[in-house]
Amino acid sequence: MDWAGWALFGLVATVALTAALISAQLAGLTRLDLPLVLGTLVTEDPDRARVVGFFIHLCAGQGFALGYAATFALLHRATWWIGALLGTLHVGIALTVILPLLPGVHPRMASQRAGPASTAVLEPPGLFALNYGVQTPSVAAVVHVIYGVVLGLLLQAD
Amino acid sequence: MTGEPDTRCPRPPAPISDYGLLGDTRTAALVASDGGIDWLCVPRFDGEPLFGRLVGGPDAGMFRVGPAGPTTVVERRYRRHTATLETTWAVGSGRLTLTEGMVAEVSGRLLPTTLVVRRLSAEEAAVDAVVEFDPRLGVRHRRPRVHHRRRTLCEWGSLAVSLDSAPELAIEPGRPTSITVRPGHPITLVLAVAHREPLIHVEPAAAWDLLIEDENRWRGWTAEIDESLPFREHVVRSLLTLRLLTYSPSQAPVAAPTTSLPEDPGGVRNWDYRYVWPRDASIAVSAFLSVGKPDEAHGFLAWLLHASRLQRPRLPALFTLHGRHVPAERDLGGWPGYLDSVPVRVGNGAARQHQLDGYGWVVDAAWAFAQAGQRLYTETWRAVRGFADVVARRWQEPDAGIWEIRAPAQHVHSKLMGWLALDRALRIADTHPLSDRQRRRWQKARDAIAAEVRTRGFDPTMASYVRSYGSQDLDAALLVLPLLDMENVESPRVRGTIDAIRDRLSAGGPLLYRYPPGRDGFPGTEGAFLPCSFWLVQALARAGRRLEAVELFQTMLDYASPLGLYAEELDPATGAHLGNYPQTLTHAALIQAALAIRDAPAIDPGSA
Repeated sequence: MDWAGWALFGLVATVALTAALISAQLAGLTRLDLPLVLGTLVTEDPDRARVVGFFIHLCAGQGFALGYAATFALLHRATWWIGALLGTLHVGIALTVILPLLPGVHPRMASQRAGPASTAVLEPPGLFALNYGVQTPSVAAVVHVIYGVVLGLLLQAD
Repeated sequence: MTGEPDTRCPRPPAPISDYGLLGDTRTAALVASDGGIDWLCVPRFDGEPLFGRLVGGPDAGMFRVGPAGPTTVVERRYRRHTATLETTWAVGSGRLTLTEGMVAEVSGRLLPTTLVVRRLSAEEAAVDAVVEFDPRLGVRHRRPRVHHRRRTLCEWGSLAVSLDSAPELAIEPGRPTSITVRPGHPITLVLAVAHREPLIHVEPAAAWDLLIEDENRWRGWTAEIDESLPFREHVVRSLLTLRLLTYSPSQAPVAAPTTSLPEDPGGVRNWDYRYVWPRDASIAVSAFLSVGKPDEAHGFLAWLLHASRLQRPRLPALFTLHGRHVPAERDLGGWPGYLDSVPVRVGNGAARQHQLDGYGWVVDAAWAFAQAGQRLYTETWRAVRGFADVVARRWQEPDAGIWEIRAPAQHVHSKLMGWLALDRALRIADTHPLSDRQRRRWQKARDAIAAEVRTRGFDPTMASYVRSYGSQDLDAALLVLPLLDMENVESPRVRGTIDAIRDRLSAGGPLLYRYPPGRDGFPGTEGAFLPCSFWLVQALARAGRRLEAVELFQTMLDYASPLGLYAEELDPATGAHLGNYPQTLTHAALIQAALAIRDAPAIDPGSA
């Protein structure tokens, strides 16, 4: 297990994922905004939330990178295509499990069951995060594959 | 209690104003005074109809609970300051009462997302009643797979509904079930809906308790509304209706819960209103803010910020409940429509129009929000700046206007609202950061709009602003003029415009056509446009003509349905409500009119 590689390259891969996601948002492809979603766990101000969320996202990215690095270590090799496969698995779990479950724990995210007492204002992602735009699953898949490829390439070269 | 192998009893469609609204802020049902739920889409306002008889005919399903034979309604009302509806019929020597509602607050508890509770009780004597439960799903009125396991279960793949009753009844979908209701022994029916999740069964007694809990919540909600409001009971009913039509998971108010209730019975003016118009919603925001409900206003602005993100700075004319693109308009073949008004449509073709006025409404809502002491987040202000930039860049282009005319024109109302967007953005900029360059650009555009509208949008011979440049037609939307501060409210131009509209667009009494009937490129005609009458009240109040405003408002209250609800339009000849129902814009305009009366000076210089 390459601990130094994990610490540095996890950071690089998460930044790459975030940059790709922001580019997709600016291009009008999706309304999925992971720093906002994560940051509003802490504050309701969207601008502050994005800053806080960015750091939470970096930490989460490091956590996931640990799983990628452990898998590469188990397989005794790290390649870009194994990284891409892991990225595909990662996004599958994110879209079908993590995001749909988020309204259950997020204090500022409404659920499909929200009623008049709800003051939550963040729209729930729904299955495959489709509430954030029909192209969201594709965008999420691409940025997570980028994350996996970056990790695969960097840990391979290490 | 017996099941009868009988065919369904055909019922003529009820008048639109006969329907009551049951809602849970996620979807809504329309129930006629005979106890028939003729419209309910699941799991959301814009979902597939489960009971679609209203515009889909007898094969589209319904759920009736009521007297077995012909009878008369002796009383029908909402329980005060709640969303629970009570209908009482005189049947023989007894009285039968149906008390019903939907449970709105299901979050945090093991409850179905959609839960309809209906209780029949009798007084004075036993009464024969009937339950007709005939759910059909979607465009093709699909029949369910039916199971009976202590309760009636209906299933269509990912969607399932259960009908529970206490005492237990043998209810067969599609067949009437005759029952006898005895005094002191009410019968409770509970309809639960599950979409992409297991059904959650709620015992009827527990469901009834939940409805009572909900009633108490609604009473608490209405108790927070400003006590000093004039016509408070009517305003409260309108606010409750607006809240019931606001989709809680995204905080977006749907324009109406129905599709294709006709503006012209038997005609083609049938549209799908189960979407969100930022314009209507912005008016609702101001209404909520003004009565002391900032959370609802905050929720909508947050939704708008999120929903408009993909297209920003362009503001689409309408969105889905979750801020997606509205599906293309299409006709539902085989749907007979309400009073043979075809086609029945889903989707909405106005989604791709350029409507300049929308920017004005939205920026004005943001201004109202800031003025009420609420903080605009940096991102909200960034979005507002983007909207103002679009107006400064595009105000000279023709647009579809507030009435969504499919041939673009230079609409004067749109220009006025463009002026409003820039003016209110500049006012917000007094307390929010803005570059000098941007400020100068907005000021220049705002002044240019005012100058052009005053020369090209005003007809001196009529002493009134007109519908579009060079036109001789009037437009009731111009009644916003006294609200803008572009012209002095006591100026001859403002007075002349109000009086000309009142005179030339009159549909009799307080009723107004929105523009000369038929001048919109569609075949057929339409009724008086109800929000315009409330805008007239608002304009009169703002122009200092309070007594006229109060008198007009009182007359307008007489046009409400027996339950205090309004459609979009009204037939001036018969008083029949027309168009989708109940209508967010009409109720928001009613509230704004009452607020304008509240804020108008008590001394009436106009009548002096």
